[in-house]
Amino acid sequence: MRGLLAGFRLELHVVRANPDSLIPLVTAPLFAIIFLAIVRQGGRSDLEPDALMAPVLMSLWWIALVQAGSMITADRWQAVLEPLIAAPTSLASVLVGRIAFLMCVGLLSFFEVWLAGWLIFGVSIPFEHPLELALTLAATALAMAGAAVAFAALFVMTRNAYTFINSASFPFYVLGGVLVPVAYLPDWIEPVSSVLFLSWSADLLRATLKEPAVDDFWGRLGMVLVLGAITFVLGRAILFYVLHRMRAKGELATA
Amino acid sequence: MEAVEVEEITRVFEPRRRSGTRVVALEEVSLTVPTGEIHGLLGPNGAGKTTLVKILSTVLLPTSGKARVLGHDVVDETEAVRPLIGIVFGGERGLYWRLTGRQNLEYWGALYKLSSRGAKARAQQLLERVGMVDKADERVEEYSRGMKQRLHLARGLMGDGKVLFLDEPTTGMDPLAAREFRSLIGELRDEGRTILLATHDMVEAEMVCDRVTLIDRGKVIATESPRTLGQVLSRFQRIDVEGVPPAVLDEIRAMRGVMSVTAVDGAGTRIEVDEEGATQLVLERLVDAGATSVRTSLPSLEEVYVQLIGERGMEI
Repeated sequence: MRGLLAGFRLELHVVRANPDSLIPLVTAPLFAIIFLAIVRQGGRSDLEPDALMAPVLMSLWWIALVQAGSMITADRWQAVLEPLIAAPTSLASVLVGRIAFLMCVGLLSFFEVWLAGWLIFGVSIPFEHPLELALTLAATALAMAGAAVAFAALFVMTRNAYTFINSASFPFYVLGGVLVPVAYLPDWIEPVSSVLFLSWSADLLRATLKEPAVDDFWGRLGMVLVLGAITFVLGRAILFYVLHRMRAKGELATA
Repeated sequence: MEAVEVEEITRVFEPRRRSGTRVVALEEVSLTVPTGEIHGLLGPNGAGKTTLVKILSTVLLPTSGKARVLGHDVVDETEAVRPLIGIVFGGERGLYWRLTGRQNLEYWGALYKLSSRGAKARAQQLLERVGMVDKADERVEEYSRGMKQRLHLARGLMGDGKVLFLDEPTTGMDPLAAREFRSLIGELRDEGRTILLATHDMVEAEMVCDRVTLIDRGKVIATESPRTLGQVLSRFQRIDVEGVPPAVLDEIRAMRGVMSVTAVDGAGTRIEVDEEGATQLVLERLVDAGATSVRTSLPSLEEVYVQLIGERGMEI
């Protein structure tokens, strides 16, 4: 627990000292404006809640992918990784703490897009099922944190993590049904999407904003959490393997 | 109980590419450091000092051999080893530059399972100890190299480790700060800590260490007290000379304590001695012979290593 809190507090200091990691909070309201303009122009006011939720998911995914995903790599380049590994606290707990802070930051985008939609288009988020909405957002943030651990472990193995990071955003927005519901895409995409927690999150978030009552809410929320947990367990296993490999090869520090 | 036990540790770095070369960083290195000792690990760059420190601090796995810290195996019992050690790696990196010195220390305190209040108090105490209180709330990126090094040391002490591994800790410090640092090492020993100090600075090793292990090219050459080592090293001296007739050089070659007489680049001659008092006798003979240029110097550490290896052969 101390490692988690230490990581949370560290990331707070890092973000305060380095505000460019808050870029998704700048882009989220801009994306909301673009998407709202498109659905309005198309005469589909029923898709306005979808237009507002997409930037929130994009912000969370981007933070998990870019900020959290490059954490270990950055620590390695700063030569902080070696003393961190030699400390009695597990790297995974520190990492989760740091990612948890970033997810809290990412959730702020929800309020931003709400405000942007209301100020510019007079569109408000329809809180048809507020409890379900809050639970879905929280479950999504947790699942994102699990994915971020996997990203962080994977990226440290690659020589050019940023190439992968840059290419792993929009494909996942499509596969995860973030921009467009998966149901609107070709059928062959669905099996791939169904194993991504992102697609369950996106569908559920949209459902919580609309009438009627959300169909099988708990089952779908459970899927988000289960898929997120699987991602996290996988991420931890990768992290364990990667750290062992780096200790064996002498790659914890860069020259 | 020995604080550090190293038994025939070998560490090989395999090439990352086919065209690369295999590097044997440590070859069957053995040494012991009793509790409460300041032990120097002395050798030139690339000798294997950092590799050994990394293995002992659990961040690098040995290829073969065993190492224990306070009785715990550094490979199989990392969770038992880590709370017992403090590490100070040399160089400017290893800190979060955008954070203040105090924030860095408090973070490391939390990693060593101190409470928030405990970490704050310990950070303050250590900042005072390394003379960094005035700069504690400035970002590390604004620190000089020496200040970063002092912060490194404070960070290494945050966990209150019983065994400290210091890898070139005075790199970048000005002479005054380095002197203060060495006195701090003495204080740490008085508190009952064991210190393994990796350095290439013979003077530093001589000033603070109870015993010194000479290491070169991954092999231990000797483990001695600094005094004994100093006596061994001071025997070796070299004299570069010009304008001496060959007959006189032959005469010098036959003198007691003269190890070698060799021509250097066709312009002069290098005479190497390996016995105390021999230098003076050689110099007197050279002056009598009307040498036009005479210069004496101590050989480099590496040159002395070569001599020591030659003297001791495989018994070391």
